[in-house]
Amino acid sequence: MTFSHFGALTTFALLVAVVFAIITKSEPREQFRYGVFVFFSFLAAAILVGWIMYPLPL
Amino acid sequence: MLKDDPPNARFESAQSFTVGADQTAVLKPQSPAMTAAACIGGLLIPGLGHLLLGRWVRGALLLVSVVLMFVLGLAMHGALSGPPDSGELISFKTLNAFANVGTGLPYFIALSTGRGAGIPTAQTADYGWLFLVVAGLLNYLIVFDAFDIARGRKP
Repeated sequence: MTFSHFGALTTFALLVAVVFAIITKSEPREQFRYGVFVFFSFLAAAILVGWIMYPLPL
Repeated sequence: MLKDDPPNARFESAQSFTVGADQTAVLKPQSPAMTAAACIGGLLIPGLGHLLLGRWVRGALLLVSVVLMFVLGLAMHGALSGPPDSGELISFKTLNAFANVGTGLPYFIALSTGRGAGIPTAQTADYGWLFLVVAGLLNYLIVFDAFDIARGRKP
């Protein structure tokens, strides 16, 4: 199976967000909101770190 | 919001939780046998602890999430780490195996069927390895959550 970087990141963020939301919050509404927050935080952090690393020679 | 629960809270005491606006639920801890069954079941099959405790939706979501992450890790040619040899107990491989074994039965099934070898030269091998490691570590957290539910600390 071949994933793009972003596809793998998105899948990873989604699955981890589901688990984090369920085990850290009690109410379904809180779980949903926290899961969405974690998911987009993963994406935002990855994009931010990607841009920070952009000028670095690799 | 969860009620504060001191570390030395009595096992038998029932606790009340605020589960919604003007809604309070009083939860009684499960028996020690049920607590043990939920924890051991959760270690063997991700989410089984929650299912045993009657948290059907949570258990199903956790089962799907962890098993899907594990299967995707294998599909991306990630490598599973087997039990370390006696000479390499203090090594990265031990930590890797500890993380992998957290997935429970899927880990042993994958090892026994030879699906955990991985392909190091594959483009997604590193991602696959990470998926496999995180799936196991997440399941440890899930078992702790099942323990809290069984003790009546969480609704």
